[in-house]
Amino acid sequence: MNSTQSTLTLGQRSKLFMQNSPARMAFIIAIILYAVTVMISPGSFNASAIGSIVMLTLLLSIASAGQTIVLIGGGMDFGVGAVMSSAAILTTTIMNSQDGRFFPLLFAALSMGATVGLLNGICTVKIGLPPLIVTMAISNVITRMQYVLTQGSPMGYASPSFIKSVTSKLFGLQFLPSIILYGLIIIPLVFYLLNHSRFGKQVYLLGNNPVAARLNGVNINRVQILTYVFSGMFAAFAGMLGAAYMNAARCQIFDEYAYNSLIAVIIGGTSFSGGVGTYTGSIAGSLVMVVLSNLLTAMGLAQPTRNVFMGLIMIVLLILYNREKKVRQ
Amino acid sequence: MIDTLKNSFARLRRSSFFAGFVLFIIALILNAALQGPASFFSIKSINTLFAKNAAFILVAIGQSLLLIAGTMDVSCGIQLALVNVVTIMTHQVWGIPFGLSCLLGIGAAVLASIAVWVCCSVFRLPALLASYAMTYVIRGVNVMIMSVPQGKVPREWYMAYDSQLFGLIPVSFFAVLGVLLICRFARKTPFGSHIYAVGGNPRNAFAAGISPVKVQLKAFLLKGVIVGIAGLCLTLMIAAGNPLQAEDYGIRSLSACILGGLGFGGWGSVASAVFGSGFFVLIQNSVYYFFSLLVRMIPGFSVSSYWQNFVSDVIIFLGLLMTIVTAKGRQEVLREGIVRQFKRIDYRKKPEGLDGKEAASHE
Repeated sequence: MNSTQSTLTLGQRSKLFMQNSPARMAFIIAIILYAVTVMISPGSFNASAIGSIVMLTLLLSIASAGQTIVLIGGGMDFGVGAVMSSAAILTTTIMNSQDGRFFPLLFAALSMGATVGLLNGICTVKIGLPPLIVTMAISNVITRMQYVLTQGSPMGYASPSFIKSVTSKLFGLQFLPSIILYGLIIIPLVFYLLNHSRFGKQVYLLGNNPVAARLNGVNINRVQILTYVFSGMFAAFAGMLGAAYMNAARCQIFDEYAYNSLIAVIIGGTSFSGGVGTYTGSIAGSLVMVVLSNLLTAMGLAQPTRNVFMGLIMIVLLILYNREKKVRQ
Repeated sequence: MIDTLKNSFARLRRSSFFAGFVLFIIALILNAALQGPASFFSIKSINTLFAKNAAFILVAIGQSLLLIAGTMDVSCGIQLALVNVVTIMTHQVWGIPFGLSCLLGIGAAVLASIAVWVCCSVFRLPALLASYAMTYVIRGVNVMIMSVPQGKVPREWYMAYDSQLFGLIPVSFFAVLGVLLICRFARKTPFGSHIYAVGGNPRNAFAAGISPVKVQLKAFLLKGVIVGIAGLCLTLMIAAGNPLQAEDYGIRSLSACILGGLGFGGWGSVASAVFGSGFFVLIQNSVYYFFSLLVRMIPGFSVSSYWQNFVSDVIIFLGLLMTIVTAKGRQEVLREGIVRQFKRIDYRKKPEGLDGKEAASHE
């Protein structure tokens, strides 16, 4: 009896820890998962494997930056995957293996992302349906557009210098891919946006209590739409980097990032109900996702089992963080 | 005589499915005009229309039951594929009669529904997200059962599905009619009013002695059977197995219901689902005829299947946009329901609608 009680309190304590500092929790989970991976296949502990973990984590972190902002603002963006795929296709089509086209591409990709984000935002705010449904419908349209515009098979490759700027190793160290340089620009930018700008404060306020935000003179529709615009732009940038990492693009190449970024952000402690969350948590969550996917590969699990796994993880996360109150109290 | 007509028209105008009904009629006229009335109202064309879309209409009906009960399930699209896969594989691998496989398929759909019910009602997770996560699980299970598209349906079965009774009424029509009769019957039972009570306000329903969890279980079971029948319709229509098909039926059925005039919880009727899905079907059909009209009129113009997919997805999106018009009268009900789908909110009604959330987040 006594022992069950102590385990119960331990369970409660760990639950409290998870709810109070999810970012640290996520880092701990990632380390444990990586340790398990190394135990299963010791060969996976080397510099280049770590390098690829860093690469994928940063890619997912950049993709989930916008998702974090949107979720904190009380919305949800399922267009991240479709925007990333479209940006990747834009990258290979515009660059077409030639240098010196980075800035036109940047402009094209970001304005594409911003347009989609604007559409997502306006429709979510104006239609008043769940953002999941609206953004999913829009992302379906964008995915179909990829097929229509490329006839199903996108052409070209990213330019050599752009590929080099993403995948070459810094100081010749295998575990430092140069995508870190892009990360050094994006991550502080997100931190500034969320924690030090007026927009960030408004997003938190909006997510926490829209009515109070409106009464305090925040233009809640505009802020909400802006969160989607930022999400689209970050996703577009992530798509460009992803195209450089993958070298070539195909339709729907990054679609799974919609779901993965959402899970990563939630693992990092950002709640569906809005108003709570940090970008540090999202980065930690991305790390967990990447390490977990490595682990599943090391265990030799096939794609269907992985799908089941991903779905169950989401349900477990929902149970941990997002249960509704009992009807009977 | 004129007075009774007037009265019944007024009743129709007040009903929840009026907007969906009007849209349906518009789509019907549009389709008939594009296709040519003589060709559209022929037995063959109506048969094809029903045979192709019975699955979708049935899924929308199932979805509408859940929406009335205050929950939802976006995974019912992939559940169709589950039924398809189970039916084909049990017949192929175990060699059991096809009729028995069909029953097993329906059983699989019911099991999947119960799994979603456990997540949504027992664990009290937000229905939209939990059922989306279930989509992943079911997709994985589908591929585990059948790794690549394969298999076939006995000839007499799909020929029977494609035929008309008395040379007039398509068989698939009976599937829809049967399900509608079941719903009609269920509406008369206590369960029929309980789902409205639970969907409208679970807390009040509980206080009145109705168990929300049990009522939602019944709704999910009924939906499981309906999705099972829909899956069989799909299987008989394509006469082959594919583990990754029909996934978008989930979200499409949801938008069809909303378009037809259903809100989230305790509102609307099954008729909304029928008209909403009918609208979708007819519009998609019109798009096909519109494109073939273009091909005939403009020489050298050709359409790839990519274009057709694109246009049909644009239509789903526009359909959602249209809910701005149809849902205007119910914005408040909708918004409250949405908040409930997404956030840990107190069910008690507050004058401002949204400020219950603050109380919930400060716990």
